[in-house]
Amino acid sequence: MVIDLSPFYGATTPFDRLFETLWPSMAISQRGTAYPPVNIGEDDENLYVRCEIPGMAIADIDLTLTDSSLVIKGERKAERGKYYRQERPTGVFQRVVNISGGVSRDKVTATMRDGLLEVVLPKSDESKPKKISIMTV
Amino acid sequence: MADSVAKAEERRLPRVKPATDIIEKEDGFYIYLDMPGVSKEHLVIDLNEDELKVSGKAEYALAEGQKLGHVEFGGGEYFRSFTVSHIVDKERIKASLRDGVLELHLPRQEKAQPRKIEIQAG
Repeated sequence: MVIDLSPFYGATTPFDRLFETLWPSMAISQRGTAYPPVNIGEDDENLYVRCEIPGMAIADIDLTLTDSSLVIKGERKAERGKYYRQERPTGVFQRVVNISGGVSRDKVTATMRDGLLEVVLPKSDESKPKKISIMTV
Repeated sequence: MADSVAKAEERRLPRVKPATDIIEKEDGFYIYLDMPGVSKEHLVIDLNEDELKVSGKAEYALAEGQKLGHVEFGGGEYFRSFTVSHIVDKERIKASLRDGVLELHLPRQEKAQPRKIEIQAG
């Protein structure tokens, strides 16, 4: 890890951002945007966290559920050989998704299909919306 | 009418150039394309003369009653074409799709394999 304490540390000019979007770094750790991209969905029963992580088997992905967050960890390895072109990101990635509200921790499931990771977090009974019937007196 | 509907449907998805690695190994060239969300049925690979075209469609249909609160990616139509060198044996190009990554193996033609030239001492 490099600690840069210069006064310009962390300052990105519009030019830097332009270069970053035109020629993104291959190393995930050097990228400006978070990896992998995450979509979060919800319905009455579950929370859905979806991630695009192509080329990873489910066994290589480390999913950790803490009290308030879901951590997705892994490493995209580079193939060996003589590279003529490299655009696919490589390296170690980690993404933390904050989970607010109760989730039944024991019933969480994760599936991987065509490079798309889907984690289904069932809502606990306490956090489901409840109808309150009003009684007339 | 049905055609125009289908066209509108296609236009809805953004066209994406998949991230690609091209690597040379001992047994030929390998092309890797990141195409998350594309199933085997939605992937088309065309080889016409020297042009290799790869296209695929990823569509994420949302289940009834589900809404997205945070979006960073969406479906898309992947398209990329490559020009295949004459040293590639076009008959033996192999493709496999695994975990959203398409691997194309382009073996070299037998006669293009590097070989040592024997020197005959006269």
